Amino acid sequence: MSLKKSKSIGASSPLNGIGKQDGDSRRRRKMAEISQALGASPADVAALRRMAISEGGLLSDEIRCQVWPKLLNMHTDHLPEKPAADLRENHKDYHQVLLDVRRSLRRFPPGMPDDQREGLQEELIDIILHVLDRNPQLHYYQGYHDIVVTFLLVLGERLATVLVEKLSTHHLRDFMDPTMDNTKHILNYLMPIIERVNPEVHDFMQQAEVGTIFALSWLITWFGHVLSDFRHVVRLYDFFLACHPLMPIYFAAVIVLHREEEVLDCECDMASVHHLLSQIPQDLPYETLISRAGDLFVQFPPSELAREAAQQNSQQTAASTFKDFELASAQQKPDSVLRRRRRERVPPQAQAQAMVVARPRAKRLVRLAVMGLTVALGAAALAVVNTALEWAPKLDFQLFP
Amino acid sequence: MESSLELTTSLPGTYPPLRSRIFKIIVIGDSGVGKTCLTYRFCAGKFPDKTEATIGVDFREKVIEIDGEKIKVQLWDTAGQERFRKSMVQHYYRNVHAVVFVYDVTNAASFRSLPAWIEECRQHSLGQEVPRILVGNKCDLRHALQVSTELAQKFADSHSMPLFETSAKNPDDNDHVEAIFMTVAHKLKSQKPLVLSQPPGATGALPLRKSEEEERSWSCSC
Repeated sequence: MSLKKSKSIGASSPLNGIGKQDGDSRRRRKMAEISQALGASPADVAALRRMAISEGGLLSDEIRCQVWPKLLNMHTDHLPEKPAADLRENHKDYHQVLLDVRRSLRRFPPGMPDDQREGLQEELIDIILHVLDRNPQLHYYQGYHDIVVTFLLVLGERLATVLVEKLSTHHLRDFMDPTMDNTKHILNYLMPIIERVNPEVHDFMQQAEVGTIFALSWLITWFGHVLSDFRHVVRLYDFFLACHPLMPIYFAAVIVLHREEEVLDCECDMASVHHLLSQIPQDLPYETLISRAGDLFVQFPPSELAREAAQQNSQQTAASTFKDFELASAQQKPDSVLRRRRRERVPPQAQAQAMVVARPRAKRLVRLAVMGLTVALGAAALAVVNTALEWAPKLDFQLFP
Repeated sequence: MESSLELTTSLPGTYPPLRSRIFKIIVIGDSGVGKTCLTYRFCAGKFPDKTEATIGVDFREKVIEIDGEKIKVQLWDTAGQERFRKSMVQHYYRNVHAVVFVYDVTNAASFRSLPAWIEECRQHSLGQEVPRILVGNKCDLRHALQVSTELAQKFADSHSMPLFETSAKNPDDNDHVEAIFMTVAHKLKSQKPLVLSQPPGATGALPLRKSEEEERSWSCSC
């Protein structure tokens, strides 16, 4: 309900309904800002993150080739050679990777000649096996190929290889454990977020016992598996690369909330609700939803949801297995791997921004609307960025003063 | 993938009245054996032109008619990779009425995995009391056959399951894929004369005990 309201307010914000000319000039201005941030020494990564989050994202694949590495704090002066193809036969995941890549035809632009696509598929296999081979702690999952193909198509093989490796040891790390327990745990953030915004939808979904598996492919492929328009996929990747690793789950929540009326109209059983939600609409208002996901992240940061997310597990214990219980007890905290890498210092600014929002539910509606505007103006975006900095890959430490 | 598979469900006009019966069938087996193609073939009546890896669980349904009664058949198509089965798919074993095990007749490893899949089901209380069938898929690829009918039949017999060998791809086999799922539906209908669609939250699968006679009649093969 409340999101509905904020949408109508968002619609009258200066971001929407801009004429074409206006759009062109904004685009040019943004490109200039991006190139200025890139040209600074060192590059102004915080500004680049804001660009990646704000309307339109990074605008073009040429820009993405330059900015995505910066968002992962990588130097790309010395790219390694092409991954060797000799890894194939020996790797334990080779057959699964081959199987998944060979049938991933939809991920390639329609109309691409077969031989070109087949060449890219071979590169895709090589990149995946290269990263897995160099990082034996990482385990392949079905859907990983949907992420890697996006990087391959935007960046080309050599750049994609280094970025995917960095991403795999950071944002995707929890998905690549030997088991999917941590992935499941991250999914447990979904319902608490929905509950904060729309308890009615939350209760309905709980009653239907729909679970969260409908969002599994969204989360672990960063929506690459379910969106058919590549432009939407890369726009989301701009956003996710610039943000906290848990942002995809906030975005998943925002999609569910966007469809609140359909959900509530649905028959209240697992099959109907699962089916409805897993068929993702292709005409989502991405910019609005991105801005809302940012809002929700600022209002209900992961730290605030952690306890409830952990409880989701124990609630399931009665119906599910003993294993769930073990997991719940072992992991009082979420996303344990990510947390371990967390720097101790929490940027005070991000904290302060998060504190702006008060807890009481009664005020929720008004506050969401306000935050919608602030994201448009970039203030909350800054808070999101600051939280992302805290989680960013650490190699090039000096970039963060 | 979702976009092309959407039409598999809710054909307009064939929607049954609210309290019609629902048969929930889970389809499991190794990655790449053709679970998605089989379920799509049954629900949409054709072979899908492109399928991708299933991530998590996909859902398809079809309304069928048996003896004048409209029944909703729900097929839960699952990811084959082991990591998904271990922690993700469990939720979907609940309230299942029947299980379809699928292997690929051109892939011996997928056949060798069957005991693990059967054990997986047993752990979720889906033992012999729940109708289970074994499907050997891709039998249009005769030249690449790795699992003989004889071997498969022996295995099926030892687990009291009927065996079907079929091809989701072969255009002549449409009736056959249909017949396989219809066989399961008939079996379920005969077993569950009174059970209506379960309210959400109902637990347990089938509260039935099979007689020897039923067991024999079920164990016939195609």
